[in-house]
Amino acid sequence: MNHLAVIEAILRNRQRFFLEIRRGVDLRIKIRAMLVSGIVFFALYGSVMGSTHSLWQVLSSAAKLPLLFLATLVVCMPTLYFFNLIFGSNQSLTQIFCLVLTAITVTAVLLLSFAPIVMFFLLTTSNYQFFKLLNVGVFAISGIVGVRFLGQGMQIASTGGQEGCARQVVVLLWILVYAFVGSQVAWTLRPFIGAPGLQFELFRQLGGNFYTNVFASIGELLGFFIVG
Amino acid sequence: MSEQRPSRIEQVLELLIEEIMDRMEARHKTASPTETEPPAIEDVSVPPPAAEAELAESRVEPEAREAEASVPEVEPGELPPPLTGPSHAARLMGRLALWLLIATVLINVPFNRHGVTLATAMPDAASFVIRDGFVVKEEDHAEIYVYQNHKFRWISSLDAFEHYGFTWKDVHIVPDGYLDRYESGSPIHVLLKCKASPHIYRLESGKKRWIRDIDTFVAEGHVWEDVRFVSCQYLGDLSDGKTIPPDSGPPPQP
Repeated sequence: MNHLAVIEAILRNRQRFFLEIRRGVDLRIKIRAMLVSGIVFFALYGSVMGSTHSLWQVLSSAAKLPLLFLATLVVCMPTLYFFNLIFGSNQSLTQIFCLVLTAITVTAVLLLSFAPIVMFFLLTTSNYQFFKLLNVGVFAISGIVGVRFLGQGMQIASTGGQEGCARQVVVLLWILVYAFVGSQVAWTLRPFIGAPGLQFELFRQLGGNFYTNVFASIGELLGFFIVG
Repeated sequence: MSEQRPSRIEQVLELLIEEIMDRMEARHKTASPTETEPPAIEDVSVPPPAAEAELAESRVEPEAREAEASVPEVEPGELPPPLTGPSHAARLMGRLALWLLIATVLINVPFNRHGVTLATAMPDAASFVIRDGFVVKEEDHAEIYVYQNHKFRWISSLDAFEHYGFTWKDVHIVPDGYLDRYESGSPIHVLLKCKASPHIYRLESGKKRWIRDIDTFVAEGHVWEDVRFVSCQYLGDLSDGKTIPPDSGPPPQP
């Protein structure tokens, strides 16, 4: 099956796609298609982000962005699986993995669709803080839509039971944890854009956190202070 | 009473209509050959619901089948039918990905000998990230400054510039007046000494300034790591500036 056809099936006929996951139809094919497409799309978006700095940054970001999502997935998967199990879910680990991968793939597709816009701003502006916040916004929108898919998928693919409501709460809480872990992994793997005026760094030294940096960038963009 | 015969024009029109009818019929047959074909071909491409269910069942992962076995069976008609519209989204995604790849390569190809790419061509001082070690020079001024501890410090000589390991690649050109927005720190000097002489000199604007004693050395905020060893010949060739502190008498030569 064509990898992109699987992605199209998610976007155009998600009800059927989630029901197929529930029935366990072609799970491995689906997972392979989503993994391949997701990695390619993330790599492409990463290369666009890194273009603001240097060729090394392009390569580095293209490798790090897929790694960011996959690492977050690996870190957070067991929590979702076992909590679902505790609350009466009958889904296998492969099914849960497939569902979460669906959310990540949707995020990747949306990032790919945003990439031309980001590239346009890359070529027409050069304000680092603006570019950084633009990307934060793009990731936030894509991520929210992605996890909405996960929520719907869990609802459709879950197999009833008396604790369905509790499982929905679990999914909601897990999404929060996922976002929190994801932002910290992103902070650990940074830079993705590469600060102008600084040499290329594969990883930047730890210190601070994602949230304070975003607030500092907003502050600098609005002219309140300068990020040191 | 004679029978009214069709006129010549009517005869031509009738012939024309017959010809058009024949052609439309022939075209209709060419456009939809399957309509006349036996239904067996359609049966091959679209399996009946029962066969589709069997096919889907055969592709179910064993692990998922175990999970499914413990829950109520899914109704046969539960799966919505697959969409039969044109598969344009997958093609578009593929093209978009390819286009992005090409565009990313193109905007990262250097177009001048300085290695400037389209992606990094847009100059804007506001895009700099100011942090420790950031070296700048205003366009029409020769002085070079480095940012340390929230202040820009003037690097007082080329020796100092080299002593602290900076290279010209580190220097970022900013518009005139850019540094006015920031607080200035104490200048960065390099201290020169040769092995054969006990005297230490501070290099400022190409002149050596003798530091009278250790107390002055410490009071000026210097540390031993600031001292750079050079040859006595090099040190002797430098012209003398004011001593530190001033009026300390004639500076001794190394």
